[in-house]
Amino acid sequence: MVVHQLVPTFVRGDATGQAAVNLKWLLRRLGVHSELYAADVSPDLHALVRPATHLRPRPEDLVLYHHGIASWLSGEWMHLGCRKGIVFHNVTPARLAAGTPLEEALVSGRAQLAAMAPHADVAIGVSELNALELREAGYRDVGVVPNVVEPERFGPSWADERMARRLAPNGGATVVSVGRVVPSKRVEDLLSLHAELLRLDPRARLVLVGGFDAGSRYYRGLRRQARRLDGVEWLGRVSHPELVAAYRAADVSVSMSEHEGFGVPLVEAMAAEVPVLAYAAAAVPQTLGGAGIAFDEKRFAALAELVRDVAGDGRLRGKVLRGQARRLRELSPEVAQAALAEALRPLLPARRARSTRRAPRVAFVVQRHGEVTGGAELLARMVATRLAKDWRITVVTTCSKDHLSWENDFPEGESRDGPLRVLRFPTIRGRDLRRFNALSRGVLGRKNDRVSEEHWVAEQGPLSPALLRHLSDAREYDGYVAFTYLYTTTAWGLPLIADRAILVPTAHDEPPLDLEIYRDVLRLPRALFCSTPEELALIDRRFPGHAPAHVVGAGVERHPARPDRFRKKHGLERPYLMYVGRVEKGKGVGELLEHHAALVRRYHDAPELVLAGAASMRAGGERVHALGRISEQDKHDGLAGALAAVVPSRYESLSLLALEAFAQGTPVLANGASDVLAGQVRRSGAGRTYGGAESFAQGVREVGEARAAMSRRAVAYARGHRWEKVVDAYREQMDRIVSEARR
Amino acid sequence: MKLLGKDIDGKELLGRIEERLRARGLHFEEEKPIRMDGPEPRVDPMSFNLHALEEHADPTRPMPLHTHRGGVGQAVVLAKWVFRKTCQVLINETLARQRVFNGHVRDAYAQLSAEVIRLREQVEALEPEPKERAPAPRRRRPKR
Repeated sequence: MVVHQLVPTFVRGDATGQAAVNLKWLLRRLGVHSELYAADVSPDLHALVRPATHLRPRPEDLVLYHHGIASWLSGEWMHLGCRKGIVFHNVTPARLAAGTPLEEALVSGRAQLAAMAPHADVAIGVSELNALELREAGYRDVGVVPNVVEPERFGPSWADERMARRLAPNGGATVVSVGRVVPSKRVEDLLSLHAELLRLDPRARLVLVGGFDAGSRYYRGLRRQARRLDGVEWLGRVSHPELVAAYRAADVSVSMSEHEGFGVPLVEAMAAEVPVLAYAAAAVPQTLGGAGIAFDEKRFAALAELVRDVAGDGRLRGKVLRGQARRLRELSPEVAQAALAEALRPLLPARRARSTRRAPRVAFVVQRHGEVTGGAELLARMVATRLAKDWRITVVTTCSKDHLSWENDFPEGESRDGPLRVLRFPTIRGRDLRRFNALSRGVLGRKNDRVSEEHWVAEQGPLSPALLRHLSDAREYDGYVAFTYLYTTTAWGLPLIADRAILVPTAHDEPPLDLEIYRDVLRLPRALFCSTPEELALIDRRFPGHAPAHVVGAGVERHPARPDRFRKKHGLERPYLMYVGRVEKGKGVGELLEHHAALVRRYHDAPELVLAGAASMRAGGERVHALGRISEQDKHDGLAGALAAVVPSRYESLSLLALEAFAQGTPVLANGASDVLAGQVRRSGAGRTYGGAESFAQGVREVGEARAAMSRRAVAYARGHRWEKVVDAYREQMDRIVSEARR
Repeated sequence: MKLLGKDIDGKELLGRIEERLRARGLHFEEEKPIRMDGPEPRVDPMSFNLHALEEHADPTRPMPLHTHRGGVGQAVVLAKWVFRKTCQVLINETLARQRVFNGHVRDAYAQLSAEVIRLREQVEALEPEPKERAPAPRRRRPKR
């Protein structure tokens, strides 16, 4: 079963879209895959949210429609031939938008709500008030699942520095209010309160955050009203870090809204540790749950005094903040997840049946498989092949060969790869590298909301809804081994199967590892199998509280090799350095070429450089041999004869290339910026690290001078990496998972 | 006015505020009972749809002028107003058949919805446990 979520309009910063993305996250934790669709969504978001016209649910699927204002989706939803549900975000009473173009759409939204009632299999209100209105409209078995706010995303380190500087304390009280500038939010009341506050505190500021229609009569009236007052800051729509900075710059958060179906900003303010003062309208008292301070009348002089008290009285402020912290726990994502599970209980699939098979059936989940260049994929294939003696293994993967384009190169469906059964699922969208890179610049290295992170993961791909449906639905596997934390197959797929899964994260110190979205990926599985102690230390630092982790790594065997055969085949006469892997900038090949060119310019006897692997960049130069993809035998022949193997990537979690070079008795020259490679070189004593052209040249010289000694140490180090140990670790962990599942 | 919250003494806090307001010469009103919002009433879809069809059956009637844009948006609103004032005869001529068609749609919907309501009432009378069913639609028009 897949839960498809329908949203009328998906716009960044809009509460309904956020709620849908949050539900997708919670459903994932419940083992159910969810897809998002919207009637109106910008094409640059299509990786995350597909147009509603693409929706093709199966009869067993559930379509959850997020209802608010009137939308033609309501009619479409009623005619769907599958199970149907409503998530009700409330409709602003039409009286609060009288005389505006919204008025009729609001009444229409309520009429649609009632019309849909007999067609709904499940109904969810985001507050008790919404649940009450659902019942009033004719729905039965109504559940309450509060909107989710992740408090950690409102911490001090998430605040945008520039905005924090702009709103730095000026000695007066700062009031923030967050919400769209529409009549129901009663921004004019905030201005009236501010006018009273200015009488008590001439340096007081009112910070207004939220989108507005610059041409609307309402907004223009407010601007005229505000012109008479000092200290009013209209921020409009802001990014998530700017929003956090605005909250954190405030002494008090105030809501004058006359109607809230839930009131997400109330909870956001609590998460940002700002005392909340709110007019007790509609669902506001329920959302506050006794925290903050609610008021039932808008007496601005008294409220201005109250703002001064809350801003200036440390004891009062402390009491309010402690209460808000308690309320945040009551509204935590875990509580919402339990409420969602309860609301969907009649529709969720039954728990997996207990396995009685002698040989466990295990799925290896990996983004690509087969003739592909990639360390993680190669590791997955090597491990799976070795475990196939004891387990019945299915590789669950995509039809793609290229991780940059995600094009469907392999045929869809079932095939064999030696002892492995391979199930391939198509991708529905390629990767637009230009868009992805632009998005990466806006997301990586910054603090984001969940929508931005989910969007980044979606753009990275591979987008294969069929694969995720298979993971969500399949009952045939006793356990799972997932490879690489980074891609959707794991980021979205692993939480669906986490209770029976081992994750091989192949994580390295790269910007995506800072994204909060990966916290679940590293926390939920039964075990993490890291490649090196450095990888484990990195995960410890980044995600404390991760799943139990072990350093397992990979085994390595010494393949018979004939260096002379490789030299002759490729016309190599001088000593050479060898790199095997994807020839791309992200792997540090650009820097390697620069360092090698500098070496060639300085030394007449500089070694040649051999690059072997699929190329996505132009790789050439004096004494550079770009061979493209080579056979396994060629690789071992080449490594055995190399002066040193070069590992130029700064992002490595293991480096199979280094292990294979060691096995052939070949030293390694590695990028010292990678802790993992530096650790491998240090532990083996069979190589050198470099950080620039100078240390690269020095490394080449030292490796050349001490090659024989390093070669002996390399072979000894490789002997410590036996496959038997690795296979035993997998077997032991999976036995534990399978035996628990059988209980 | 009342201040509500589990973590504060609302009366005491309000008392302090009241004192300060009095000191500033401001009048402080007596307490009123707390106003609580109930759920919004159900809007019956069939009567709403009929009303909406009636309201919009005549396509020659203009919609209220509105723009969400500042600056140029105001000039566009003015241009629309001028167009309506000067070209209403042409608008009427262009949309005459649409007006007739919309009228038929409205009448057809009115007849069909009346029939649905009659049939629902019959079904309701035949069903043994009416409590289990969704509430029957109220025949009233939404407040505009």
